[in-house]
Amino acid sequence: MKDKIGILIGIGIAAAVIVTLSFFVLNTGNLELNEISLIGIVLILVVFAIYILWDRIKNVRKGLPVQDERLKLTNYKAGYYGFIGAIWSAVFAPLAIDILFDYELPGHLVTAVVVLVSGFVFAASYLYMYWKGK
Amino acid sequence: MKTRMKELRARYDLTQEDLAKKIGVRRETILFIEKGKYNPSLKLAHDIAKALQTTIDDLFNFEDDER
Repeated sequence: MKDKIGILIGIGIAAAVIVTLSFFVLNTGNLELNEISLIGIVLILVVFAIYILWDRIKNVRKGLPVQDERLKLTNYKAGYYGFIGAIWSAVFAPLAIDILFDYELPGHLVTAVVVLVSGFVFAASYLYMYWKGK
Repeated sequence: MKTRMKELRARYDLTQEDLAKKIGVRRETILFIEKGKYNPSLKLAHDIAKALQTTIDDLFNFEDDER
């Protein structure tokens, strides 16, 4: 029951993100390159979330658990890598943007970059360990 | 790590999914244990051995040079 509630909440959140993103894209005139890249990363994370939800639904239908010890370990390791990604992006993203584009990244965009990079690193490492079995 | 899981599963005519359901883990976990890509916890190793009616020592074989 707890697994099913978790899946429903996940579906709701993914749907809310997609709807919000759609409204943003439709109501914005011209999108700048940095906005397009941030939207791209958000879409990648949404696709990742949908894949994980689909996988969970598949297992619940078969009567198998949504998470076992291996996946819990994968979660913890991916969380660790996501945290490292957050730290490194917080330090180097403003520096890199300044050097490459001669542009000082405002605070709110640094926060957005940190959140998205850490989410991306979490998703990538989670999927890698999920498929490779490490 | 080598394991006799596949051999013992075949003996009792169990698929990976059947064994996973019996123990309460995901099918991929059984797959990766059989491939030697995941080392189960002691509890899980015990549950697998019990489900396959054998012992942990009989089921898993760690090679001497592994650390």
